Amino acid sequence: MTTAALAPAAAPPTTLRSGSSYWLTGYSAMLRWHLASLRMWLALMMMVQILVGVGYVLGFALFFDEIPPLAALWVSTGTPVLNLVLLGLLLGPQLVAGTKQQGGYDFVQALPVPRSAATAAWYTVTLLAGVPAMVVTLVTAELRYHPAFVVSPMIVPATLLVVFTGTMMGYAIAHAIRNPMTTQLITQVLVFVVMGFAPILFPAQQMPAWLAEVNEWLPLAHMAAVIRDALTDGLVTDVGRSYVVVAVWGVASGWLAVRALGRRL
Amino acid sequence: MRATPTAIDRAFRADDVTKVYKGGLRANDGLTLRIEPGEVYGLLGPNGAGKSTLVKQVIGLLAPTSGSLAIGPYDLVAQPDVARQLCSYLPQAQMPIDAFRVTEAIEITGRIRGGQPAVVRRRTGELIEALGIEEWRAAMGMKLSGGVRRLVGFAMAVVVPGRLVILDEPTNDVDPLRRRLLWQQVRALSDEGCAVMLVTHNVLEAEKAVDRLAVVMDGRIVAEGTPSSLKAEDRGRLRLQVMLVPGTDTPASPAWVHSAVRVGNSLIAGLAEDDAAHAIAWAQGLIDAGTAEEYALGASTLEDAYIRLTGHVSDDDEV
Repeated sequence: MTTAALAPAAAPPTTLRSGSSYWLTGYSAMLRWHLASLRMWLALMMMVQILVGVGYVLGFALFFDEIPPLAALWVSTGTPVLNLVLLGLLLGPQLVAGTKQQGGYDFVQALPVPRSAATAAWYTVTLLAGVPAMVVTLVTAELRYHPAFVVSPMIVPATLLVVFTGTMMGYAIAHAIRNPMTTQLITQVLVFVVMGFAPILFPAQQMPAWLAEVNEWLPLAHMAAVIRDALTDGLVTDVGRSYVVVAVWGVASGWLAVRALGRRL
Repeated sequence: MRATPTAIDRAFRADDVTKVYKGGLRANDGLTLRIEPGEVYGLLGPNGAGKSTLVKQVIGLLAPTSGSLAIGPYDLVAQPDVARQLCSYLPQAQMPIDAFRVTEAIEITGRIRGGQPAVVRRRTGELIEALGIEEWRAAMGMKLSGGVRRLVGFAMAVVVPGRLVILDEPTNDVDPLRRRLLWQQVRALSDEGCAVMLVTHNVLEAEKAVDRLAVVMDGRIVAEGTPSSLKAEDRGRLRLQVMLVPGTDTPASPAWVHSAVRVGNSLIAGLAEDDAAHAIAWAQGLIDAGTAEEYALGASTLEDAYIRLTGHVSDDDEV
């Protein structure tokens, strides 16, 4: 009976969804949602990421007559990190602030998706947007400086972790702060801090001691350390501590983000 | 589809829901209502009456200060994630679908709401046809007019409907022809057993679409019933609408006026049938005095009950 087959589509549900299939459906459908809503921007964003990465790597040589090999290595391994962190910190907050201002935030929030699945979908989007630029930046650096990269398989978990932590920090800011204008302001300040006051492109020893000490506890320098460790040999020591610091920041931000997503005032 | 006394209570129930915001603003003050499966229930009230606050509590975006919300055996306050599965929601704001194609926006939402791919695809096609928006099937959201966008939002909200479907001003910007198509789909949802909560301040539309309604004012329900029961009190009453000359003061109401409200340059007064002659003489006097331009006298509508209860005119553009 064909009419009977049509009816269930419109009839309200009689059972609740739960478990891994609920999570996976929510994850993949939210991923499709994000990719569709970003379709006009994703390619552009990748291009900008590539331009910034390549521009930084090539532009840095202009500071020197002949760039010292060590400086080349620091810049080549730091630039992708800078790019990934900025992406995570900016993309989420800007987009969420946008939907808050244009309306539609409530609709997305009211969709039946487990909070962790929604967060994981967003993490995947950031990875897709960021990793191509990382590869292109590293290839450019290799061609320009031949900076003696020693790429270890640890580059995979290191990249996943760095993007995770950057994305979760941005996501937490995006959802925990209610006023979109405040969100925009805070992310602008963060960009300034990341670009200027975090030892990502240069060793922390070149900073004032107190600032270097502060960066021991912030995630940015450690993010650079885990990536650098996976790309070079002997440049980074005590990478274990760096993994721990980055992971703690990532988990704490992720927890905060999931909590902020489910928060009811 | 209605719940029988012996069956499990499947209705949506709000019981003594109170929401006090930080700073003391009391948005909901002891709201109690129930919506049966298969019932279209209107929530009417002026802006700021507390309608949206109630809706946000139902879908888990706000927590009530006290009181309970439930659908069937499920406590929506304790389990906001369950609330999101059981309720589907069309917000008053436009959907964020600039970069989506119409079918895609509806289908992805259906998938997120747990529909099977083939079922969602079929239902999407049916809704697009039923709402008369076939020609925009493949169009991007950013290219749509406000009305078509609204209809797409409606389709997104009901492609896989919850047990409670909440529609906040669903017909905003929609042309009269497609409004009728939309109301047919609302009725189809209730026929399938969904409870429908219609939030609006358009009284005339609500009168035709709802089975029952509540008028909300200052966070409280000031009247509840079927449209005809709410009109009962106004039976035998007339409404006098006087267009005042712009810039003139509101004339003092004569003693026979039951209620009067001014919106812009329009003065709307309720009166008993017996006072019709007084009303005509008074209105003509205002025109002769140069205070008014024209007037109309007619039978009272649900809108007059609404005005009497809230002191507001529906679809309000009050100044």
